[in-house]
Amino acid sequence: MTATAVTRRQTAAPPAVRRSFIERRLAMIFLAPTVLGMALFTFLPIIGSLVLAFFRWDIISAPQFVGLDNFASLAGDPTVRVSFLNTIVFVIVAVALQLGIALSLASMLQGRMPSWLRVFLRSTFFFPLVLSAASVSIFMRYMFNEQFGVVNWLLSLIGIPAVPWLTSPVGSAAVVVLVYVWQNFGFSFLLFLGALTNIPKELHEAANLDGATGWKQFRHVTLPLISPTVLVASVMAIISALQVFDQPYVLTNGGPGDSTRTAVMVIFESAFQQLEFGRASAIGLVLTLLILAVTALQFRLSRRFVFYQ
Amino acid sequence: MTSNKTPGQPAPTHPLSSNGGLSTLTRRSMLGLAGLAAAGATVGAWPRLTGTDIPGRGSKAMNIAILGTSADAAARQGLVDAFKAAHPGIPVQVQAIQGADWKDFFSKILTMVAAGTPPDVVYVATEGAQLFADKLAEPLDDYIRRDATDMTDYFDDVHPSLLEAFMYQGSLYQLPLDWNAANMYLNTTTFEQAGLDRPKDDWTQDDFTTTLRALKKARPADFTPYYWTNRLFGGVVPWLYANDTSFLAETKSSGGSWFWDRFYPNDPARATRGGGYQWLAPNAEDGRVIETFDYLRELVAEGLGVRPESGGGNALVGLFGNNRIGTTPAGGYWAQGLHDAGMTSDQFDVQFFPRWRTQRHQFGAAGYAIMRTAKDKDAAWEWVKFCASREAMQLAIPAPNTTPTRRSMVNASFYSVTGPRHWKVFYDTLDRFPTSGPIPAPPQQAAVETALMKNVSTAVSGSSADVRTAMGTLQRDLELALRRNS
Repeated sequence: MTATAVTRRQTAAPPAVRRSFIERRLAMIFLAPTVLGMALFTFLPIIGSLVLAFFRWDIISAPQFVGLDNFASLAGDPTVRVSFLNTIVFVIVAVALQLGIALSLASMLQGRMPSWLRVFLRSTFFFPLVLSAASVSIFMRYMFNEQFGVVNWLLSLIGIPAVPWLTSPVGSAAVVVLVYVWQNFGFSFLLFLGALTNIPKELHEAANLDGATGWKQFRHVTLPLISPTVLVASVMAIISALQVFDQPYVLTNGGPGDSTRTAVMVIFESAFQQLEFGRASAIGLVLTLLILAVTALQFRLSRRFVFYQ
Repeated sequence: MTSNKTPGQPAPTHPLSSNGGLSTLTRRSMLGLAGLAAAGATVGAWPRLTGTDIPGRGSKAMNIAILGTSADAAARQGLVDAFKAAHPGIPVQVQAIQGADWKDFFSKILTMVAAGTPPDVVYVATEGAQLFADKLAEPLDDYIRRDATDMTDYFDDVHPSLLEAFMYQGSLYQLPLDWNAANMYLNTTTFEQAGLDRPKDDWTQDDFTTTLRALKKARPADFTPYYWTNRLFGGVVPWLYANDTSFLAETKSSGGSWFWDRFYPNDPARATRGGGYQWLAPNAEDGRVIETFDYLRELVAEGLGVRPESGGGNALVGLFGNNRIGTTPAGGYWAQGLHDAGMTSDQFDVQFFPRWRTQRHQFGAAGYAIMRTAKDKDAAWEWVKFCASREAMQLAIPAPNTTPTRRSMVNASFYSVTGPRHWKVFYDTLDRFPTSGPIPAPPQQAAVETALMKNVSTAVSGSSADVRTAMGTLQRDLELALRRNS
């Protein structure tokens, strides 16, 4: 054996270390496209939008630094105020309905029924989620048309006069919530279905033996056991609802007046219609902070209400 | 343990492998192959990744953006071919950009500008004329002066009001090719059922209300006597103009004499022509504006008109074609639409918009604008000039899906298949009512339109007192809209 060979053997890394090094490199190679994509299309735009919030920019002219002017103007803008208020009310009503309906239907499907019916209902409840929100909203706009819509025609058969669904503040808000909930409860429904299926039957049987049935069993056995899923479902539902855009944009275009105008609609209008990209970024930043605050609050409250097995 | 090894064959090197070739493929080779595949895919997708497959990018052809689908672009192929025959040295490419409306289309053009891929020429309607003139478009003044002799034929054939709509601060930015006034379409079937004749040319707002009541009486169910939509064209503005007012104070800038004196010296309205319209201040709280909105509110409250958010577009054509609508404001473009919906030429007709304090009409028009960033502005001007020729306009507008700006093309032959019987109303609008004006669209048009639309719906949905409140809100929103981005 030569001296060189000895040295090489001494300096060569052990096979396990070498394998780990190769695996790390491989992991980096495989992750690189995703990381690069996220950096280019998520993180850079976030930073860009943060910076843009302090500028006035209409795409055509050079950006002009305006300090906090964009934020100051938001405070005095009634449209922005109303749109945020609308968004908050929408989130409260839509999320409550979405989770309530999803949980009720998931619980219903846990009951006794033929398996074909269970499969059919499961697919039916999930189906709206795979549809395009814009297409559904266009279709619903025809359905709820005051003069010629199917809904008012059906109501007229039982003597109810035409309801201004999309042309009155209350009617339009109700339709936006209805269409949104109908289209989105399927996701929460699937989460709840999975969680309910995972509850051991023995626990319900034991509860039955102890005399806890119906609401008591749901309240004290089922709900605590699915509480982590309720937390996840509610966090996702709230984040999604805070970003509602398609339904009000297509169904009512924010009207009548500002009654169904949401925060994301104002961001869209400011940026892509009124060419106020700085103002749009400032509104986006405020909305992001709101989403972060609400999510943080949810996790904080979850310490008291969520039961981890 | 038994072996299934065939005698004489070497044992597989891996218990799961039965293929000696694959078994020799090491992880390194696999990675190499994967790398090669990725490189191949990258090369294959390079035009997409780099965006060079985007029409116009990397091409020396003049890129012309229009609002529409690829079918609309294909429909212009005859026009493009004729241009290429006349100008073989200028390659041209028409790029159709889809949009829900003009506002949406302009947003996409601006996005292209921001992306560094602006088109060279854009088809722009009055809604965006001042936005483009203010920020994006090249004035045509020098070209028009240079080719004045060639252009005389066009200006002799086109009403000056249409040109004035594209003047901005004394310069002309576009040559209008098609236009439409907000006339009143009449469903003759429903008029006959109500025992009504076609109204007179100078019918009034009161006549209009009486007509609607008669129509409603004849068809009490599943029928709307007056259908209007919440938008700039054909919405509340025609009524504001008829009442001699507008939601924005309208003035004209100075200048433009170079153009009017040269091309329209005998225009009866020469004294009123200027350097282009200006909408600098809101006027929503004007008494006549409030009066107009209150009238429309009363129509809605009485069931004579719909709330203006109810719809439009194809749905409106379908409803009109099924005799569920009695009247609606629209322009010459509707003739082809109604014909396509199955209406014969005697099932609909058209009349001027009713008179209130005036019978001033609202119109919209469109034409090509040369972008300041155009690669070859001289070539772009050749396109603009060619499209204004009679030959090109006949290729571009073969059927009445809009109204050509050349008076000579608006004739009996043009409407022979579709109707309406009184097609002359379309161009006569400008002659009879020379103060007719374009849609009020300052450079801040998008914000102004948003403010108008949202407050129109509120104004006409409540009580008379609500109208005043809504106009106060509109005034505030317009002030904000005009102040921002100014």
